[in-house]
Amino acid sequence: MFLNVVFSLSALLTVSGALMVVVTRNLIHSCVFLLMSLLGIVGLYVTLNADFVAATQLVVYVGGVIVLMLFAVMLTGGNNTKEVLSRFGFESLPLMGNVKTYFWGILSAITMMSVAGNLIYRVAQSSLASVLEQYKSSVDEIGTKLLTDHVLSFEISSILLLGALVGAAIIARPLGSKQLNEEK
Amino acid sequence: MISLSSYLVISLFLFLCGITVMIARKNIIAILLGIELILNASALNFVAYSRFGHNNIDGHIMALFIIVIAAAEAAVGLAIAIRYFQNRETIHIDSATQLQS
Repeated sequence: MFLNVVFSLSALLTVSGALMVVVTRNLIHSCVFLLMSLLGIVGLYVTLNADFVAATQLVVYVGGVIVLMLFAVMLTGGNNTKEVLSRFGFESLPLMGNVKTYFWGILSAITMMSVAGNLIYRVAQSSLASVLEQYKSSVDEIGTKLLTDHVLSFEISSILLLGALVGAAIIARPLGSKQLNEEK
Repeated sequence: MISLSSYLVISLFLFLCGITVMIARKNIIAILLGIELILNASALNFVAYSRFGHNNIDGHIMALFIIVIAAAEAAVGLAIAIRYFQNRETIHIDSATQLQS
C-alpha cells in the first residue's frame, strides 16, 4: 500500500515534470521542471529496490548536473533574445516538409508506437517474477560486482571522467587568456 | 500496480519527451536537457528489468555508468555551449552553420 502511494507520487512527478520541460517557454523553468522529473525518478528507483542508484542519482543529478545547467543558462543569458525564447522555433522556419513527408512521418510514428505497445503488452501478459524478493541493501553486492566483473569498465569510466573534466576546463577557458599570458 | 509494464510506459514517455525537446527546441542548452531525459529513461529501463528479472544486480551497475557518462557529457556539452556563446553571442542552434558546405 505504502509502496503504491510512493510509486504513484513518483510517477506523477516524473511524467508531469517531463511534460513541462517540453511545453514551457522559459529555459530556467525548464531546468527546474527537469529537476522535478529527476526527483520523481529517484522515487521510482526507491520503489525498484535500488537504493544506491537512487542516492547516486540524487547526488549527481540534483546536486551537480542541474546546478551546472543553471549556471550555463545564466552565463549565456538564455532568456534575453526572442529567438532563444521561441518554444518550437516555428515562426522563424517555413513549414517543415510537405504532404508526402508528413504522411510518411505519421505512418512511421504509428508503426513505431504499435511495435512499442506490442512489446509492452507482451511484457504485461507474461508473469515475469510474480514473487519479488524482499528488500535488502544492494550496496555490498554492487561494490563486489563493480570490482570483479565490471572492473575494466570501472577503470575506463574513471579515465573518461578525468578526460571530460580536463577537456571541459580547456574548452571553457576565458577568451583571450592565451594572449594575456604571452603579453606577460 | 507496480509492474514492469508501468515502468516501461513511464520510460517510454520520458524518451518521447526527450526526443521532442531535442528535435523541436532551438537552444543548445535545451537540447542538452532533452539528452538528460533520454539517458534517464534508459537508466530507468535497466533498473526496472534488473528488478523484475531474476533480481540481477548488473542493471544497477549499468545505471551507474549511465549516470557517470551523463555527467561527463553535460560538463563537456555546457563547456562547448559557453565557448560558442563567447564566439558568436548566441546559442541558437540554427546559427551554427560554419561546418555546412
